[in-house]
Formats: sequence, structure tokens, C-alpha cells
Amino acid sequence: MVNDKKEYHVPLLKCLTECEKGSELTVVNVDSGYGAKRRLAHLGVFPGSKIIKKQSAPWHGPIEIIIKGTSLVIGRGLAAKIIVSCEEESCSD
Amino acid sequence: MRYQTSKNKNFNNEKRTINIALAGNPNVGKSVIFNQLTGLSQTIGNWPGKTVERMEGYLEFLGYHFNIVDLPGIYSLSTYTLEEIVSREYIVSEDVDIIINVIDVTNLDRNLFLTFQLIELGVPMILAFNQMDILRKRNRDLDFQKIEKLSHLPALPVVAVHGVGVHKLLEEAINLLEAKDSKLKSNRNSKIKSLTSFGKEIEEKIDIVMKDLEKNYVPRENSPYPNRFLAIKLLENDEEIHDLVGTNQETNFLSNVQVQRNALEDLHGEDITTIISSEIYTNIQSFTDKFIINNPIKKKKINNYADILDHLTTHSIGGYILLIMVLLGIYCFTFSVGGFLGGLIDELFTAWSEQIYLNYNEDNILVKIFWDGGFGGLMGAIGGVLVYVIPFFLTIEILQDSGYLPRAAFLMDRVMHVMGVHGKTVITMVLGFGCNVPACAGCRIMETEREKKISIALTSLVPCAAVMTVVMGLVGRYIGLEWVLVLFLINFLVILLVGRILNKALPGIRTELIMEMHAYRTPNYKVILKQTWVRTKEFVYKALPIIIVLGIVLEVLLILNLLEPVNVILSPITVIWLGLPALTGVFLIYGILRKELTLVLLAILAENLGLTIAQLLSPIQMITFSLVSMLYIPCFATIIIIAKQTNWKYALQISILEISLALTIGGMFHFIFVLFNAS
Repeated sequence: MVNDKKEYHVPLLKCLTECEKGSELTVVNVDSGYGAKRRLAHLGVFPGSKIIKKQSAPWHGPIEIIIKGTSLVIGRGLAAKIIVSCEEESCSD
Repeated sequence: MRYQTSKNKNFNNEKRTINIALAGNPNVGKSVIFNQLTGLSQTIGNWPGKTVERMEGYLEFLGYHFNIVDLPGIYSLSTYTLEEIVSREYIVSEDVDIIINVIDVTNLDRNLFLTFQLIELGVPMILAFNQMDILRKRNRDLDFQKIEKLSHLPALPVVAVHGVGVHKLLEEAINLLEAKDSKLKSNRNSKIKSLTSFGKEIEEKIDIVMKDLEKNYVPRENSPYPNRFLAIKLLENDEEIHDLVGTNQETNFLSNVQVQRNALEDLHGEDITTIISSEIYTNIQSFTDKFIINNPIKKKKINNYADILDHLTTHSIGGYILLIMVLLGIYCFTFSVGGFLGGLIDELFTAWSEQIYLNYNEDNILVKIFWDGGFGGLMGAIGGVLVYVIPFFLTIEILQDSGYLPRAAFLMDRVMHVMGVHGKTVITMVLGFGCNVPACAGCRIMETEREKKISIALTSLVPCAAVMTVVMGLVGRYIGLEWVLVLFLINFLVILLVGRILNKALPGIRTELIMEMHAYRTPNYKVILKQTWVRTKEFVYKALPIIIVLGIVLEVLLILNLLEPVNVILSPITVIWLGLPALTGVFLIYGILRKELTLVLLAILAENLGLTIAQLLSPIQMITFSLVSMLYIPCFATIIIIAKQTNWKYALQISILEISLALTIGGMFHFIFVLFNAS
């Protein structure tokens, strides 16, 4: 989604938990412990990978993302440590 | 690291044995292929010293004897889970001739991540690309000649659910082995080339570590891992490999590995896991680009039932309603089928017993011990447990195969946090509604020891079908359904309480949920039936002998009149503390064997005395009795499973915890009622 009008726009950095559902995101950092970080990396979630936030379970439940075409559920505590950048359009506050 | 295979099962010495390991991600159709190949010959065991399940089977094909081990589904060859460690060690052991790597083509990238690592192990491998039918429906295809050319590995299209291409895999295995033999067993690692070419600076570091390894690492005999694999894993800071190499080296080159790793991390500004994983994924990307064929034909928009179902079952309101319905469904199905069959078996046994008593005299001590005790125990186990276990396994396999259970985990993750575990425990607790025995066995899916222990404790407290019998048969029948609900509420509060206690008592912290939620699919009835059969067989072999022996022991105690003293000994608890009649003491002891026995024996006793249960117990006593039966201890089969999954000490601790909880709550209940009545 290249937007001509916003040539110099800076991507917004957010926690995965804060993003709107349905938004397309790029992982910037996984700021978790070593074990979870490695696990996520093996499943394709590492800085630079593109993910879609599909939904989150009610009452501050876990987050479901789409990574390389498959659904992955990530506990909220861990999701809060995943920093993503998103296009403003899909990330409206 | 040696594993015993079932070579001794190979009676025909003339035939050559080929040992195959099926490896792949979870839910890629591995077990379907395994079922297609091995049929009913499969057995479930545990990996030596580990609580990871080992599925094994064999078949005769084209004059060869195939031993096939279905490895647990894994995403990587690291040490994140026990499954990964077990798989890695087994694959490189001498017990494996050929790996069949099952790849789900609808999820190619992530599946190939494992493939690329398996290749590093240097074991002959066949690539089985499963679900080709679905890929082709999406107007895509794979160029298999290209794949073979690029990977130097045999690659075959498979549609596992229809058995397409499954036996071709074995033909390919034979070819591969014959080819290897003709080359006079050259080093088995030499032919397989790594597919991953890392960036130049990483390859340099790998080279440095490999040279160090060659110089300094004195491998144990049969050191199974190729040096390149060791080098990558050392750079990745893999604990197991670190220890393996660390104990076998002469100079301390591990510090050099550390230096190389730090250099890489500094260069990339990322940690090593990210660097290596993203490099492998980049390789996969350029690999798949070369053989995926996209047919540019108009896409038919198919109304996808799986997506609709997914939406409904994860919906923030509808999802919970459906979850409750599923739970009720499991319970109703298990209960009605089990109750019906159990009734038939009971009648059969009673009729049979009368025949035996007529012929051999009821008071004959051998008849008592072996017929009433041993055979009675067996019939009890079949009529009271097995008939519930089978329909239960069936529903569970359907839920598992269709992909529902992860959705339940998704919805309940937050709630489970309160108890120090994550959503996956819901899966085992759902299983617990039918029967605690397989449910506790299912707790092996938990990632850490701590979570497994908490899950087992919580699961063993879920009211199973047998407990429901007692509660419904006593409280539901004589008092009213509202009290049944109160009892269940108390039960769940107890589960919550135990969760909180264990969360505090066990060291360590909760890990976060990371779980794949694969798309719904139509369950494969063959797989479901076979899995049900295999699991039932397992249960019969392991639990029934113990139940029979215990039946005999109890009968002997009864003959020696040792149970009367038991009632007397227990009376301070039963009579004074709980306010129950003294005779319930023995029933509670019997209930350890099978929970519903507490009610069954009560009914028998009432009948013998010419009374009804309502005349024997007051309503308050019924509630207290049901409450205690519900909570006081996991049944014997469950205790055995808990001990197998953890250890006897923990099984004992759980039992004691539950007994004390049951007594505390039962006593409180009793005294509150006494107070109410007095006022």
C-alpha cells in the first residue's frame, strides 16, 4: 500500500496487542525471553516478517495472527512483547 | 541414545528390515500416512525415560519388512520441547534407515523449515508432499522433477487421506536403500547436501566452528550428528549440543564459538536465533520460487465451510456457547452409550454369577476370590470404565482430528492464566469430562514440567462420567437438579482453588501460549476408528490387570472381615466429621477403584436391607456423600496414569491434597447444615 500523498510517513510502532484486528503488520522486534523468541522465529515470526492480526479472544485473551498463511495463537503477555509497525490506514486509533 | 526397536517382532529372518521414521510438523497428515501403512499393527509406547508418546507399527511390503515409527509432530530440531529432542536423537540413531518427511503443501514454507534442518542431519530422506489435491484445487502445482533436482532427494506427491502415493514412498525407500548398498555403504552422510546456504559471513563462522570441531572434538563412538549440524547448533547456542560437545572436547573451543556468535550478533544487530531462522526462511523462499507452478485460471470462489466454522467457534460470544454445547455433547454421548452398554454388561454378569453360584456354591472361597473379586473386577472395569472410555475416545479423536480443541484453548487461555497454566490445559480438561484416565495421559502436550503437573492436577479434578453417575443418581434423583448445579459449582471452585495453590507452590513461571490453529477439516473416519482402537488397546493392557488384582485384594479383605474394622477406623471421619453413616467408609474405599462404586454399593446395600437409598441417607448426607465422592481422590487408574506421567510422589501428593480438600469442604458443608438446622 504505497500512498503518494504521504511520502515521508513514518511507520507506527506498536505492540501487537494494540493493533486493530485485520491489520497487516511487519514485525520489528520480539522482546521476549530466549525460549519464546526462538520458538516464534522457528514458526516464521521474527523481525522483518509480515503478519496479519486476525483477532483476539475476549477479556484480554490471546491474539491470533496469520503468518505465512497459517493461524498462530499467541498468549497476550507474549504478544505485548512483539513490536510491530503498521501502515497508518490499517492502524487507525 | 540407543533405542530399542521392534526388531524382535521380525520373525522372518530372511526378509530384510527397513526402519522408517515419519517426521513432520504437527497436523500434516503424518498419522494418516502412518495408519495407511501400518493398519492395526501399531502400538503406543513411551520413548525410554521420556513422557513422549512413541507410535510404532510394521508391515510387509514387496518382500521387505518395514518398521515404521511415527515421530511426534515438531516444528524444528531445537530443544524447545521434549518432542524435538526425542525426534532429533532418534533420527540420527542407527535405528533409522530412512526418514520420510511429510510436508503439508498448503503450508509449504513452515513445513520446509523442518525439512531444511532434517537435511542437515544427513540421514537418507524421502519428501512426501501431502494434500496435493487441495493445492491443485487452488490451481497450483509443484514441479517434482525440479524439487528432486534441487534437493537431490526423492520427492513424491501424496494425498494421504485417499491413500494416493502412500505405498510409493516405500518403493522409493527400497530403491534408496538398494542404491546405497551398491555403493558399498559409503559414508551415509556424504550424499546428502545441505540445502541451506547462509550468508557469506555466517558460512564463514560455520566453517570456523567446523574446523574447530574437527580438530578438538573427540566424538563418542557412533557420534551421530554431522559436523555441520553441530556447528550450526553450537552457534545457535543449543543447550543439548553444547553439553554433548562440551563433555567430549579436549581444548576449550566453546569459548571460541561464543566469540563467533557474538561477532555475528553484532554484525546483524539481531540475536542468533533470528539471524539463522530468517536465513533459512530466505533460502526456503528462493527454493519454493523455483518449483511452485501457478496456473493463471480464474479462481472459483468456494464457500468455505471451514472458515465459517472457524469464525463461529472463535466468536467472542458464540464461541463460548458452542464450547459449552460441545462439552455437554461429549458428556451426553459418553454417558448414554456407556450407560447403555454398562447396563447390559452388568446384567450379563449378574445372570452369569447366578449360574456360577448354583454350580459351585456362593460361599466357596475360590469363587469369592476369583469370580467375585477377579472376574467381577474385570467385568466392573469393562462395564464401568471401558464402555465409557471407548465412546469417549471416539468423540475426542473426532474433536482432535477436526481441529476444534485449539479453538477451545484460544477462548479459554485467559481464564486458565488464573491457575498458572495457559489455554492448552483446557484441552485436557475437556477430555476429563469423559474420563480422567486418558485426559491425564493427554497432559503430556504441555511444554514444561510445571505446567504438566498443574494440568494433571486440574484435569484429575474434572468430574468424569463416573462421578456424574454418582451425583446424578443420588442428588439429581432424590433431591433435585439445582443441587447438582451447586455441587458442580463447588467442584469448579475447587479446581480454581487447586490451580491457585499449585500456581503458588510449584516453582517457575507460566509460559505463554504459542499454538498453531490449523484449519478445520473433515475428520478421517479410518484414522479415528484406528486411533480409538489403539488407545483402547493401550488402556486395556495397562489398566485392566491392575484393576483385576485390586478386585481380588479387596475381596480377600472382605472375606477376612477386615473391612468392618475399616468402617470403624474411618468412623471418626465419616460419622463425626462428615455426618455420614459408618457403612459409607467402605464404599469410599471401593470408590477409589471406580468412582461410581460408591453409589452402586450403596444401592446394593439398601436393597439387601430392604430399604431405599432415601431411607438410608438423609438429603444432607446425600449431598455430603456426593461431594466427597466427587473430590476425594482420583480413581485408581487415574492415579496410575498420574504416576506414569510424573512420578509416584506427585501422584501421592495430589491424592493427599484432594482427600484433604474433600474432607475440609465436606465437613464444612455438614457443619453449616447442622448450624442452619439448629437455628
